[in-house]
Amino acid sequence: MSTSGGLTDRRGIPAAAFVEDVQIYLSQLNLDVNSALAILQERLQQYRVVEMKLLAQQRDLQAKIPDIEKCLDVVATLQSKKGTGEDLIADFEVSEGIYSRARIEEAESVCLWLGANVMLDYSCEEATVLLQKNLENAKASLEVLVADLQFLRDQVTITQVTIARVYNWDVHQRRLQQAAATPSES
Amino acid sequence: MSKAGSSASETEVTWEDQQNINKFGRLNNRLHEVEDEIKIAKETNESLEDAGNELILTDEDIVRFQIGEVFAHVPKEEVESRIEEMTEKTSKNLVKLEEEKESIVAQMAALKKILYGKFKDSINLEED
Repeated sequence: MSTSGGLTDRRGIPAAAFVEDVQIYLSQLNLDVNSALAILQERLQQYRVVEMKLLAQQRDLQAKIPDIEKCLDVVATLQSKKGTGEDLIADFEVSEGIYSRARIEEAESVCLWLGANVMLDYSCEEATVLLQKNLENAKASLEVLVADLQFLRDQVTITQVTIARVYNWDVHQRRLQQAAATPSES
Repeated sequence: MSKAGSSASETEVTWEDQQNINKFGRLNNRLHEVEDEIKIAKETNESLEDAGNELILTDEDIVRFQIGEVFAHVPKEEVESRIEEMTEKTSKNLVKLEEEKESIVAQMAALKKILYGKFKDSINLEED
């Protein structure tokens, strides 16, 4: 396969080989045009499937980050109330549309939901540290994910362009053959 | 957005061309994302402005301010300063986003010139 650019696979996503010359590409693969097009289309489909998966992961992370920031805000508020001796009065939702008032006394610790039906008690400082770490991890994961998506979309573009070029080459070949087969009468 | 041509042209596609096309695609994706983010930032700014106005109109000393999932009872002045802080943050973000958008649009225009220059009708870089 005539390639250039030295693209390597990225985290399980195969790189799309760039085709320098369509004719050489087809003869190296020993394929006729239709088979080549079919294989490329299939590749494109596989890329699309992975794209869907990555987009879903991205949406999840993008929802998670503001949630963690909200939690940090709450812990910070509880901490700021600590020295004052005042209680924090808050209205909270008991059920949809129904609110009740709560008096939160000086908070020694907060409980953090860790997932999998597990909730642990933390001091405000520990909670802040843990939440901050989770936030940084989430942001870092999102960055990697975005880079993955960019790489993937590049491979999709390369494959689409290759499909177009193979198709055009075929059309061009047929025209040449037609011109050779039906010489104009002088 | 279609990038492939319909005419069987002789123009060869080099690796550099492919990279330009890839970059154009990436920029276009990012442009849509930035435009969405700008829309959200503008809406947030409006909401904060409305909240600020409501605050001026109310004569209560304690305001219910949303922190996390609950509405905490917060003195009016603290709410005012919090809203001011949030407004400033959102405005700065909005400026940053608008600048990014401008940069992207400029880069895309430059790439269009290069790609149309080489491929003319064989390539379509417009939004359908």
